[in-house]
Amino acid sequence: MRKLMMTTALALSLAPILAHAQSSDFTIVFADDSTSDVTFDPRVTQSRHEEQVIAQIFDQLVVGDADGKQYPGLAKSWKMAPDNTSVTLVLRDDVTFHDGTKFNAEAVKFTFDTIVDPATGSQGAIDMIGPYAGADILGPYEIRINYKRAFPTAVDSFTENELSIVSPTAVKTLGGTGFAQAPVGTGPFKFVSWEKGKQVVLERNPDYKWGASFYSTQGPSKVARIIHRYIPNAGTRVAALEAGEVQLTDLTPPLDMKRLADSGKFTTMTGIAAGVPLSLMFNTSKGALQDIKVRQAFITAVDRPRLSQNLFFGFAKAAWGPLAPSTPAYWKGVEEYYKFNRDTAGKLLDEAGWKMGSGGIREKDGQPLQIYYPTLLEPETSVALQADLKRVGIDLKVENVTKAKQDELILTNGYDVGGIRWVYNDPAVLRIPFDSNNIPEPGKFKFNWMRWKNADLDKTLASAATASSPEDRLKLYADAQKMIMDAAVFMPIHDQIETIALTNKITGARFAPGNWQLRLYDVRPAS
Amino acid sequence: MHYAIRRILGIIPVLFFTWTIVFGVIQLIPGDPVNLMLAGVPASAEVRENERRRLGLDRPIIERYVTFLGRALRGDLGESYRSRQPVSKMISEQASSTLQLAAGGLAVGLTVGLLLGMLAGLMPNTWVDTLCMLVALAGVSLPSFWIGMMLIYVFGMTLAWVPIVGSGFSALILPSITVGLFVAGGFARLVRSSIIDAMGQDYIRTARAKGLSRFSIAFKHALRNALIPPVTLLGIQIAVLIGGAVVTENVFARPGLGTMLVEAVLNKDLPLVQALVVYTTAAYVIINLVVDLLYGLIDPRVQAGRS
Repeated sequence: MRKLMMTTALALSLAPILAHAQSSDFTIVFADDSTSDVTFDPRVTQSRHEEQVIAQIFDQLVVGDADGKQYPGLAKSWKMAPDNTSVTLVLRDDVTFHDGTKFNAEAVKFTFDTIVDPATGSQGAIDMIGPYAGADILGPYEIRINYKRAFPTAVDSFTENELSIVSPTAVKTLGGTGFAQAPVGTGPFKFVSWEKGKQVVLERNPDYKWGASFYSTQGPSKVARIIHRYIPNAGTRVAALEAGEVQLTDLTPPLDMKRLADSGKFTTMTGIAAGVPLSLMFNTSKGALQDIKVRQAFITAVDRPRLSQNLFFGFAKAAWGPLAPSTPAYWKGVEEYYKFNRDTAGKLLDEAGWKMGSGGIREKDGQPLQIYYPTLLEPETSVALQADLKRVGIDLKVENVTKAKQDELILTNGYDVGGIRWVYNDPAVLRIPFDSNNIPEPGKFKFNWMRWKNADLDKTLASAATASSPEDRLKLYADAQKMIMDAAVFMPIHDQIETIALTNKITGARFAPGNWQLRLYDVRPAS
Repeated sequence: MHYAIRRILGIIPVLFFTWTIVFGVIQLIPGDPVNLMLAGVPASAEVRENERRRLGLDRPIIERYVTFLGRALRGDLGESYRSRQPVSKMISEQASSTLQLAAGGLAVGLTVGLLLGMLAGLMPNTWVDTLCMLVALAGVSLPSFWIGMMLIYVFGMTLAWVPIVGSGFSALILPSITVGLFVAGGFARLVRSSIIDAMGQDYIRTARAKGLSRFSIAFKHALRNALIPPVTLLGIQIAVLIGGAVVTENVFARPGLGTMLVEAVLNKDLPLVQALVVYTTAAYVIINLVVDLLYGLIDPRVQAGRS
C-alpha cells in the first residue's frame, strides 16, 4: 500500500515531465550546461547559451541553414547594390509578433537603429551589423539598409541570431532590461517564463506559418512546449537524459556520447563549431618564441591527431588552421603545414641553438627552454601538450589561472603562450586576433596575444572584408590563412565541438549555422 | 531585553565594516569588469567604452564607494553589472530555492543526527555506537558531489523513485539527503559526546535512583542538558547552508544563493557580490542572535546569569 501511495505521489509530481509522451502536449526538455543567462535580447547578447533560447523565439530576415545556404526568412527577396553599400529587401506581409504587433519595415529599421544606439549596450550585434548607416523605408514591406562603406557580407549578417528582428512595441513598453527578461519575436515559440538559474519555458506560437522552406514542418511546430533546463553538471545532464527527464543534452562528455549511441536508445549529433578552433597564440615579442624555428618546432612536436583522439574519442578532430573547416572561406592548404614529426622538431631546435641539456630539457646560454602558458581552457589538453613537448626537450609550464589573472598577464605581457577559441560564423573573425591594431596595451584588452605586426596581413584582411566578388573574398582569405601559417605564430589544436545527445523518440533537431545552437522548431516524435 | 537591544545595535557596525572590506577587496582583484562581463568574447573598443560608462567605472573609486554606501542606506543595493536587474530582486528570486534546500537539509540532518547521536551516546562503546559513528564519519567525510551522484544513480536512474532535476517537493528529496548527511555527521558526534557527558552527571544518578524510566531519563533529563553545544553547531550549520550548498546545487541543477555568489565573484559583478555578502552577514548575525536566545529556552540558568 505504501509503495502504491509512493508511486501515485511520484506519478503526480512527474506528470508535467512525462506529459511529452502524449503528442497533444508534446513537451521537450533541453538540458543546457550553463546557468548564467542574463538577457534574451538578441540585440544585446554575446552568449552562445542565450542564443540557444533566442534562436527559438526570433526570426531573421534571411535564414541560413547549417549547410551554409541562404533561404528567404522574414525577407522574401533581397538585392545588393552593385557597389555593396546598400541592400534592398522585400519583406513578408503576413507576419505578426507574439504580442500582436505587425511585422513590417518599421520593425526592421527600429531593430537596426537600436542596435547601434549606445544606450542599448549591444555586445554582439554591434560587431555584426557592419558599417550600418541607417535604413530607408520604401514602403510598408520594403526597406533599404545603407552602409557607410562597402559591406559585401551584409546578407550573411542578416542570418545571424544577433540581428533577429524584435517587436518595437514590446521594447518600447518594457524598456531594454524588461525586454531582455521577456523577449517578444516572430519565431516559432513564445516566451512564457524564466526561473533564473533553473529554466526557461517557451510555448508554441500557434500562428506560425513563415518557417523557412527547408523545414519539414510547415505551420506551427509539433512541439507544444520547450523547457530549457540549466544543468551545469555533465554527469547530471546525462543521468537526467537516461532517466527520461530531459530529451536533449548539450556538451555531452565524449565517452557518454559513444555509450549512449551504442545503447540504441539515443542519437548523437556532433557540430564542428565555425570560427577559431582551440588554439595557442605564441607571444612573438619576447623569449624563445621570437625565433620562428622554435615556434615551428613547438607545433611539429605535438601529435595533434593522437591528442584529439585520446581526449575526444574521435568526436573532435585535430585542427590545422586558424579557421575551423566549418567556417566559410576555410582554406584547405593549412592541412599541409607542420605535420607531427619529432625528429624535425628536434632538428629545428638544434638549428636554433637549443641543445639538449641535463634532465631532458634543452638549453641555450645556460637558460633552459621554458615556456609559460597561463590558461583557463581545457587542463587535459594542456597536460597532453606538455607531455609531447617534453619529449623534444621543451618545458611547457602550464598554470591554470582565473580569467582575472589571465587578463592581467595578457595586459602586462607576462606570458609566452595564450590559449584561445571562438564560435563565429564568418572568416572576418580573423581580424580580431590577427590585426596589428589589436595588440593588447595597458588598459586596453585586445586579442592579438601574439603581439605580431604584419602590415600585409592587415591589408589582406581589410580587403577581404570589403571584397566585392565571392571569388576575390575566398582568394584573399586563403592568402591571409597562408600568411598566418607561414609565420608559425598560431597553433591550432583541435576543433571545438558541440556534442548533443538526444532520445531517439524524437527527430528533427538541427544545428543553426555555426554548428552550436540547435533549432527545435522541426522536432517531432519519431514514429 | 537590554541585552537583546545591545546585540541588535551591534549588527550595524558589523555590516558597515563588512561592506567596506568587501568593496575594498573587490577593487584589488585584477582585471577589468568589462572584460570579465564579455567573457572573452571579442568586442570593439566602442562596445567597451560604452560598457565602462554605463557601469560608472570611469568615475573615481571614492565617488563609487560613497555612492554605493548612500544607496545602500536607502535600502537600494543597486543593479547587477551583468543582468542590469536590481540585485535585491535577483536575490529574492533565488532565496526561496536556497531556503527550501536549507530546510530540507536541516530536517534530514537533525532527524538523522539526533537519532545517531542519541543511540551512540546512550550505548557508548558498543557495536551500535561504532556503527552510528561510522555513518556520521561518512556523512562529514564523503564529498557532496559523490553522495549526490550516488543518490542520483541509485534512486533517480536505477530505481527511478524520484526525479533527478524535476520541480516540486519530490525534486527536493535527494538534494536534502545530500546536504542533510553532512549536517547529521557533525551533529551526531556532538550529541553523542554531550549525552555521554550528561549521563555521567549526578542528577542522572538521582533520577535513576528515583526509579524514572530510561526513556524519561534520556529525553527529559539528559538530552535537554546535552543540547547546548549541538544547538551552537546548528546555528553555524544553518548559516553555512544558506551560502555554502554550491556543490549540491551544481549536482542537482538547483539555483541558489551559493551558486549565485560564486558566479557573481567570477563575473566580478560587484553590486551583486556586495549585496549577497551583506545579506549573508545579516543572516549569520541574526541566526547567532536566535541561537543565543535559544540557550535561554533550553537552559533557564543562561538567562538568569545574564539578567
